[in-house]
Parts: sequence; structure tokens; C-alpha cells
Amino acid sequence: MNTNNGSINEMSKLNNSSEKIIIKIENLVKRFGKLEVLKGINLLVKKGETIVIIGPSGGGKSTLLRCINKLEEYQGGKIYLDGVDIDKYDVNQLRTRIGMVFQQFNLFPHMNVLENLILAPTKVKKMPREQAIEKAKALLSRVGLLDKIDAYPEQLSGGQKQRVAIARALMMDPEIMLFDEPTSALDPELVGEVLDVMKDLARSGMTMLVVTHEMGFARDVADRIVFISQGVVEEEGPPEEILRNPKKPRTREFLRRILE
Amino acid sequence: MEALIELLKSFPFLFVGAWETLKLTAFSVGIGLILGTFIGMGRLSKIKLINYPCTAYVEFLRGTPLLVQISIIYFGLPQLGIQLAPYPAAITALGLNSGAYIAEIVRAGIQSIPRGQYEAARSLGLTHWQTMRYIILPQAFRNILPALGNEFITLTKDSSLASVIGVSELMRSGQFIISRTFQTFSIYFGIAFIYFIMTFVISRIVRYIERRMATA
Repeated sequence: MNTNNGSINEMSKLNNSSEKIIIKIENLVKRFGKLEVLKGINLLVKKGETIVIIGPSGGGKSTLLRCINKLEEYQGGKIYLDGVDIDKYDVNQLRTRIGMVFQQFNLFPHMNVLENLILAPTKVKKMPREQAIEKAKALLSRVGLLDKIDAYPEQLSGGQKQRVAIARALMMDPEIMLFDEPTSALDPELVGEVLDVMKDLARSGMTMLVVTHEMGFARDVADRIVFISQGVVEEEGPPEEILRNPKKPRTREFLRRILE
Repeated sequence: MEALIELLKSFPFLFVGAWETLKLTAFSVGIGLILGTFIGMGRLSKIKLINYPCTAYVEFLRGTPLLVQISIIYFGLPQLGIQLAPYPAAITALGLNSGAYIAEIVRAGIQSIPRGQYEAARSLGLTHWQTMRYIILPQAFRNILPALGNEFITLTKDSSLASVIGVSELMRSGQFIISRTFQTFSIYFGIAFIYFIMTFVISRIVRYIERRMATA
């Protein structure tokens, strides 16, 4: 993406944050057996916003993401997409509108990069193969991996795998992207290339929910940081506020530990 | 000397029998694979109405002798008005039997695929069946190929039980020759040798396919 485009996208992003709420989470409760992981989460996501979710492990961050595209069932509360309860959507239809990127990449190892990308569009959206291939090439060049189009996942580095996984999710033209610790399984020197792709995506106006421990990314890219601990939203706000001047003791304690 | 000539003359008959054994086994494995794939998936279903019958099927067929199963189908079913000729009866019994073993192999194969593969496919909007067909089963199949090869070999040997209901496979062909020549040792040994060649070749072929798939 060149700089010209970048500035246009900055503008469109400003226009996008016109307060249109795309996701509304209301009092979400999730239990695994007796263990209550989410104890009434409330969250509003505006179109075009990048929200970074931080918090101690086991606090329910990943579970929250997985509830949004129904990889997990939840026991209480409601999630709305475009004002409609997600239970009202066909689950497969819902998932085509919400892209997800996993910590472990989860590329399909028996398929090459191109096949990984075009499988879902051709099977789910019945997109013609030729059109899917064109789209795949465009997205691969966007993540800088067009030369790996014929490679198998095992021939790629972790960072390359994750960039392919992002491109694969983008093939479905999702309105929202969920990132579940996308850089946690990467060697430190490979984190940057993945974050760069995510930054580019955020600037282009994509609505993003990112669970991560990368505080630099949170500071630079997030419109809002949400701190989740022990199953509730403990604190949320703009990055400078949360990172420099956290109000809750738990937030302070968490940040102190992670930043030192 | 005369015995040896008699023996050599009988070999073509044994080869005809061996060919029948191979056909019988191939058909049965075919049935077993289709049956086993669905029952193996059914064993993993959360829906009890699917899960329980599949589990019962596997337990019953693995827990009873194949000879008894063959007898039920060939000698027992006619009493209920279902009469099968020896060959179809043998294929049915062997197919149903291997279906149970293959179901367990398939189940283990599916379980060997990391959960993330399923979730990634579903998160892209693929249905459960599309995910099974394009993502899980192709990977599972590669993992279970050695076990399937073993099952093929076991079935090749077990198909000799079809001789008791009069299918002219290798074992029965040998018994025919013995009833004419009384050369019990050499003919039975010849039969054993041909079975061995068959299973040896099958195991080599499976190993070859395995290597091909590993590099693919």
C-alpha cells in the first residue's frame, strides 16, 4: 500500500467513525461447566474502529472473541451485529462477515497457499475459480507474499504463515476482523511483519478486535484499549489514557508487570 | 515325482482362487471404507441418536467372531426370508465387519487432526460437512494410511473364512485340489505361500503410497 492510498484511507477512516455501531455486546456470560469465564461483558464496537483487548491470561479475552463468531456458545447475554441478534443469523452466513485470525495460524497443511485462500470463497460464496484466484493474488501482494502462492504452509516461516492466514480471512470480504493473539506464537523477529500488515488493515478502515500483548501496537494503532480481567471489562478508553494513566488498581498492576 | 507333477498342475487353480480372494477382499474393503468413514464420523457426533447406534455397531461387530457373522448372514438370514448367494453373503459379512474396524481407525484419524483446523474452516463459513470433506478427512486419511493398510492385510487373510460357505476363493480352491490329490502338506503350504505373497505386496504398495503422500 503506497502513501497516497494511505492518506485517503486515513480520511475514509475518519468518515467511518461516524458512530455507527457494528457490534454490541450485552451482559455476555460464558461458562465452561462450573467455571464462569465471562461474567457479564458489555462492549460497543463502532464501524472502522480498532479495539485492542488486553488482560491477564485466563481472563476471558479469547473466549470473548470466539463468542462473537460463535465458535463458543454462551449461556447469557446477547451479541448484536448491525443491530440484529447474532442468533438470528445463519451461523455460516454470520461467519463469512466476521474474519478470524488464530494464534496457531491454522493454515490447511495439505493445501498450498493459493488453495488455502480460494477454498472458502469458491465453496461458500460460489465465487468462480478465476475470480477467486485474481482476488487471492491481489491480497497476497497486499501482504507481500505473492511469490509464495504455490508454497505449502510447512515451507513458510511463522510470520509468513500468519500473513497468509490474514489474507485467507480477507478473501471473504469480512466487515470485522478478530485477531486472537496473532503474534504470540511467533519468534520475536517475525512479529513486526505481521503487525505491519495489521496496521495497514486498520488504516484501511477495517473494524478490528485484537487480543494481544503487543503494547506498542496497542499504543500506535488502537482507537480504544479494553482491559478484561476475571471475566469483566475492568476499564476501557483511548490508549494514552489506559497506558499512561490507568485508573483501576488491577489495570495498573497488569501494565506494570507487562511493561517492565 | 508324480506328486510333484500333480502339484504343479494344480497351481493354475490356486491362482484362480487367489484372484477371487483379491476381488473378494477389494470389494469388502470398499464397503468397509465407505461404511467405516460414516460410522467413524458418527462415533464423534454429539447427537446421541447418531452416536449411540454407531458405537453399538462397532462394539458388536468387533466383539463377535467373523465366522459367526458370516454364518448369521449366509445360514441365518434365509430363515428371515433373505437369501444371499455365497459370494454376496461373503462380501456383505466381510464388508460389515471391516466397516467396524475401519470406523475406529477413521475416528482416531479425525481425532488426530488439531481442533484448530476445524475451527479455522468453520470460521471461514464452511459447513460441518464441507469442513469434513475438504479439511479434516483428507488430512486424517493421510495419517491413517498405515492402519488402513493393516486392515486390508487382515481382511485378505480373514477372507479365507468365506470358504466355509462355499466361495471359491484361495482356501477353498486348495481344499478342492487336496480332495483330488491328498497332498495336504504341499497344497496347504502353497496356499500359505500365496497368501503371504499377496499380503507382502499389499504392504509394499501401502508403504509406497505413504511415501508418495509424505512428499506431496
